[in-house]
Amino acid sequence: MKSARVIALIAGFGFLFLALAVQGIFPYVMKEAGPKTVTRTVRTEVGELTAIGSAARPYTALEAQGRAIYIREGCWYCHSMYLRPVAGEDRRWGPVAEFGEYTHDLPHLFGTRRIGPDLTRVGGKYGDDWHAAHYFDPRMVVPDSVMPRFTWLFTKDAASGKQVLNEEGKALVAFIQNIGMSRGKWRDSFPYQILATGASSIQTEVSLSHGKAVYLRRCVGCHGEKGDGKGSAVSLVLFRVAQPRDFTTGAFKFRTTPSGSVPLDSDLFRTISVGIRGSAMPPWFNLPEEDRRDVIQYIKTFSRDFEEFPPGPPIEIPRPPKPTPDLISRGKKVFEEMQCKECHGAEGRGDGPSSNTLKDDFGNRIPPANFTTGIFKSGPRPEDIFRTFMTGLNGTPMPSFKDAFTSPDDGWAITFYVLSLSADRGK
Amino acid sequence: MKNHSEGELVDNKIVSTWMIWGFFWAIFAPAIGILLSLKFNYPDLLSTQYSHFGRLRPVHVNGVIFGVFSTIFLGLVYYMVPKLTGVRMYREAWSKYAVWLWNGTLLVALLSVLFGYNKGLEVAELPNPLPLGLIASLAIIGVQVFMSIARRNEEKIYVSLWYIIAALVWTGINLVYGNFVVPYAAPGVNNAALHGLFLHYVVGLWITPAGLSVVYFFLPVAARSPLYSHKLSLVGFWSLAFFYPFVGIHHYLFSPIPAWTQTVAIVASVMLIIPVWTVVVNFFGTLRGNWSKFHDDFTVKLIIFGAVMYFIGSTQGSVEALRSVQKPTHFTDFVIAHSHATVFGGYVIWVLSACYYVWPRVTGAVFHESIAKTSTWMIMLGISGMVFILTLQGLIQGTVLMEGAEFVDSIVSMKPYWLLRTLAGITMDIGIALVGVNLLMGQRKTGIEP
Ligand code: HEC
Ligand code: HEC
Ligand code: HEC
Repeated sequence: MKSARVIALIAGFGFLFLALAVQGIFPYVMKEAGPKTVTRTVRTEVGELTAIGSAARPYTALEAQGRAIYIREGCWYCHSMYLRPVAGEDRRWGPVAEFGEYTHDLPHLFGTRRIGPDLTRVGGKYGDDWHAAHYFDPRMVVPDSVMPRFTWLFTKDAASGKQVLNEEGKALVAFIQNIGMSRGKWRDSFPYQILATGASSIQTEVSLSHGKAVYLRRCVGCHGEKGDGKGSAVSLVLFRVAQPRDFTTGAFKFRTTPSGSVPLDSDLFRTISVGIRGSAMPPWFNLPEEDRRDVIQYIKTFSRDFEEFPPGPPIEIPRPPKPTPDLISRGKKVFEEMQCKECHGAEGRGDGPSSNTLKDDFGNRIPPANFTTGIFKSGPRPEDIFRTFMTGLNGTPMPSFKDAFTSPDDGWAITFYVLSLSADRGK
Repeated sequence: MKNHSEGELVDNKIVSTWMIWGFFWAIFAPAIGILLSLKFNYPDLLSTQYSHFGRLRPVHVNGVIFGVFSTIFLGLVYYMVPKLTGVRMYREAWSKYAVWLWNGTLLVALLSVLFGYNKGLEVAELPNPLPLGLIASLAIIGVQVFMSIARRNEEKIYVSLWYIIAALVWTGINLVYGNFVVPYAAPGVNNAALHGLFLHYVVGLWITPAGLSVVYFFLPVAARSPLYSHKLSLVGFWSLAFFYPFVGIHHYLFSPIPAWTQTVAIVASVMLIIPVWTVVVNFFGTLRGNWSKFHDDFTVKLIIFGAVMYFIGSTQGSVEALRSVQKPTHFTDFVIAHSHATVFGGYVIWVLSACYYVWPRVTGAVFHESIAKTSTWMIMLGISGMVFILTLQGLIQGTVLMEGAEFVDSIVSMKPYWLLRTLAGITMDIGIALVGVNLLMGQRKTGIEP
């Protein structure tokens, strides 16, 4: 009996607890192993981005419910939740995972397999509308997807007859949109996404047919086969923030070209790469550059405007100055003088006197942007804001103010004032 | 009721009951695997709230580990222990509680996972308190085994018993730890570390020692030649016992888990080459000068084939623990290739091979040679093809992603391979199902030595 006991004690208990102590318990009690602070990107009072250290906050009740659904549905078998400092993951998805980000995770959801992409940085990557359409049927928005449908997270909306997220669905989206948010506004300074620029390709038969192939694999579910913005996703699921663009009208919001003009290829390239934050329009900075260039050529075939009315001369965007408190207070003054508050409200909350009456060219209600959310459709850089009010957003009530400015300094003043409205105060 | 005649040591009835459950799981869990595999190409196939990928995957994995492998192994324990100790199992009346507790619990637990009760930790999904059923069953078996050993007639404790003792102790502790400690202790990164350890204890401290105990027993008896080296088997045992507990963190390399614990895990993973080599050398040595058995005997054939897969899969495992190899391959099908090569190619095949030896002896029924031949070929072709395809897939997808391919593009490039993998999987799964069916349909004949 002696040796049986030896086996049981030494091999069975001894080595097991040794390993558990060395690798499980010891690192846990060592204090340097558990830095609680997370590198958080925040906006300062003058509208700049800066990094501070802060702790992750616990989940809200809604997010915790969403997390439970994420566990129940086994999303974590296909999606990992940590980014490694290798294999270009910090370029593809965002900054590498930090210890403190996981403080409130029990059980952890690291995952061991990536059948789908890593989700560490997915919060804020897509708008809620995208998530809704994607969970209802991933293949509507990503035809090549192998992700399951989650139709039981939906109910039918009585008014529109379309699918909307039910309570569970909303909780799941709340959880997903919060993942990685302890890192704050990191995406606003994520160079691979927001600085994407590319040359344009020429319209040839080859680029058009390649562009069409890209379009059918990536864009058709929302923008539709005819480019009229009536894809299958829109016809089945209610889009609350914005309808996919109808390319046949030739009206494009984000341009360096004058109001009313079609955009330059480089404008479209930027929009497609960066995405339209908050709306269903995804960022496509991971697509090969050639795919993006060629799909632009294909999109342009939907409207005759591109051939008939060549784009006007682009505006000059000078280098932004270093913002100061003086610049901000000047910006506040100009903001008031220029009647921005008519629509955007005195504090930039999108609640100005005429905010409830605005419609876009297609007759949809369109609320003026709420600058305090810090989510900018046109892009997060000062240049993006500057461009937007200089050229206006075609097809929307947002006018062009190019002629209202006497000097670009006023333009920068207003730009940084707008950005400063989303400053992370006291956090 | 007597299940065995006077003078016989083995409780035939209980061995065959475990095995019948095992044959059931051996059809059920792989079938779920086929459905999962098909979903890579046809994601909407039979997809409902209760049968989509995220709900079915844990049923497949737990079904294979705790169903197919464990059930057949536990049945074999009831065969091996009396033979090795020279005494009947202690308190034979308890055996039937163990078998029904184990399988009943597992069935209910897997159904609960389908209905969304999932603890969120890989291989510890089964909702609490159900794992208590599994643990209680192991406790019963553990007491039976230990008491039988205490009362044994044989002086020496053969290496199979060493492994059985260790496996039962380790896994009793580990199931408590994984199911009742990890889900409630230490949130965040530390939870991942604790869970990583559990995850690999299941593989290394249950499946591995259990599977090895089976081969160490059945290879010599089926080949009718003595074990090549007892010393080697002890080197193998102690190196396994020492290194295996440390490897778990290699599931989370490059994560925020402290880097030095990752390094310890990598070193231990590489050191596992030692027990693997001793095992493989021992098995092949045992068959030295006796290779005709490899042709005539299904048990020997499958054990040796399993040893080859075990060697390939384990070496792959040691290599894939290296940081440089993980860069491209982690998170891809490369890892899935490794788990199928070892768990299926090695261990499941080993316990099935033992069934060819034990089943006729406990039931007196003989099986069809021709069906056994077909099934063996299907298993060998299926698993080889599958491991090859999955390894290739992992290398391809890992490389294109490192080169910056768009993620969905990398999925598209995998689709043809996934289809081939499904075909290989179907071949192999029909092969396994045939083992059970063939044995169950065997004609009763008298005159087989027990
Ligand atoms: C079968 C594996 C699988 C399961 C289960 C699964 N997904 Fe996915 N998921 C994918 C694949 C593949 C993609 C990439 C294609 C696409 O975007 O649909 C993806 C993409 C995503 C994306 C977009 C990520 C990005 O950066 O583009 C999100 C968000 C997502 N899934 C959330 C979920 C949630 C939430 C669940 C559970 C309710 C879930 N997934 C379950 C496979 C899966
Ligand atoms: C999930 C739905 C969805 C998909 C898929 C999608 N888009 Fe969009 N897209 C939108 C929505 C919604 C808008 C409008 C956003 C707004 O106006 O606020 C939009 C707007 C646009 C615009 C207009 C930008 C402007 O300046 O007005 C372009 C160009 C565009 N998308 C191109 C693409 C391309 C190219 C693809 C495929 C690679 C694509 N979209 C895929 C939803 C989608
Ligand atoms: C007639 C109403 C109206 C006035 C006046 C107006 N805006 Fe807007 N603005 C809008 C609407 C509506 C939108 C939202 C367009 C959309 O969602 O596509 C918008 C959007 C914007 C955006 C884009 C925000 C983003 O998400 O990227 C900026 C920047 C902006 N306005 C700045 C200004 C400034 C600065 C002024 C004053 C100089 C101004 N607006 C005056 C209606 C107005």
